[in-house]
Amino acid sequence: MSPRSRPAGLVSQQGHYAGSVSRFLAYLIDLAVSSAVFALGLAAVSLGIQVVTGHSVTWSRSNIVVAFAYPAWEFLYFGYSWAASGKTFGMAVLGVRVVRADGADLESRRGYLRALVFPLSFLFFGLGFLGILVQREHRALHDLIAGSAVIYAWDARAARLRYLAREAESSAGGGT
Amino acid sequence: MKPRDRLRSVGRRLTDPAEEMAQQVAERVIEFLVDALDINALAARVDMNAVLGHIDADDLLKKVDLNSVIDRVDVNALLRRVDLNPLLKKVDLNSVVDRVDVNTLADRVDLNPLLERVDVNAVLDRLDLNAVLERADADEVIRRVDIGAVLDRVDVNDLVKRVDVDALVEETDLGAVIARSSGGMASEALDAARSQAVGLDQFIDRWVQRLLRRRRPGPPAPARMLAARAEP
Repeated sequence: MSPRSRPAGLVSQQGHYAGSVSRFLAYLIDLAVSSAVFALGLAAVSLGIQVVTGHSVTWSRSNIVVAFAYPAWEFLYFGYSWAASGKTFGMAVLGVRVVRADGADLESRRGYLRALVFPLSFLFFGLGFLGILVQREHRALHDLIAGSAVIYAWDARAARLRYLAREAESSAGGGT
Repeated sequence: MKPRDRLRSVGRRLTDPAEEMAQQVAERVIEFLVDALDINALAARVDMNAVLGHIDADDLLKKVDLNSVIDRVDVNALLRRVDLNPLLKKVDLNSVVDRVDVNTLADRVDLNPLLERVDVNAVLDRLDLNAVLERADADEVIRRVDIGAVLDRVDVNDLVKRVDVDALVEETDLGAVIARSSGGMASEALDAARSQAVGLDQFIDRWVQRLLRRRRPGPPAPARMLAARAEP
């Protein structure tokens, strides 16, 4: 595949079911971002407690507050993102979006439901995610339960134009 | 034979030659008279006005069968003998045209059969369009054009579909404008990351399809996306 033909092929992929790599990378970004925000939140709470009480507080994974707050935060992060816009920060970076199984915009309740059943896909060594690879519509277990699907939603046409523009500019610069 | 019949027979023998002779004499006399007569002088002495005054022209015309006269006239031969040029020279065409109601005339003319008979190609072949265009005031023509009405009739969507945007971006300064205005390194990195991810998605998907020995791949996109793409 030549560098020139690749963006042209991507334009035709718009709206298609997103594949495993895009979704996995998006999840990794979301995991990093949400965890970082959660850590920042805990640090802010620690600072507040320290300022108010004068005692320093340290958090660990075994801490009961963290054990309850982290899953709740993750649910809120993913649930609100999917309910509000159909995509999290990581999905926006990778240019994928959650839609209803028929392609319509995802309703809020389905967004929260998807976030609620999302952990089920991790059970049995992530067996629920196998659907992204083998299911005809690349739908994981939580997609099947929530009636959702993930598609490529980035503006590949604009990306192609940017690519062509860069090519044109670089060739013009090389010619002078 | 009766005596009366006998007398008649004798009389007839005498009168017939005499009558014949008198006829011959009369003819000779008339001939001499006509030869001797100066018709021109006679005509000059005749008061024609008085003669015409005695004639009842209406009565005369009633007796004349004008149709039969016209039937006997060879109009074509008559027209061939007429020299129209001097006649036309005397006609003031401008005043004739001024009196013509062109609109009424145009209303009466059915242009369709006329146009059907016109060989437009032949007309165009004879037309020197360059000469026509040289004489045309393009600015004036453009001023008269209702651009709005023209644009209303243009299917802009269809027009845009026909534009080769790729070629436009590559061959014009538009490419440089887009490149400068679209975020630079960040968007380039994002485009590259997304492109790589999609490429890997497709690579893995192809291998999974092979391993599962699927002959028919699944739908590429949700139904609504496919329907939206299929719409013109």
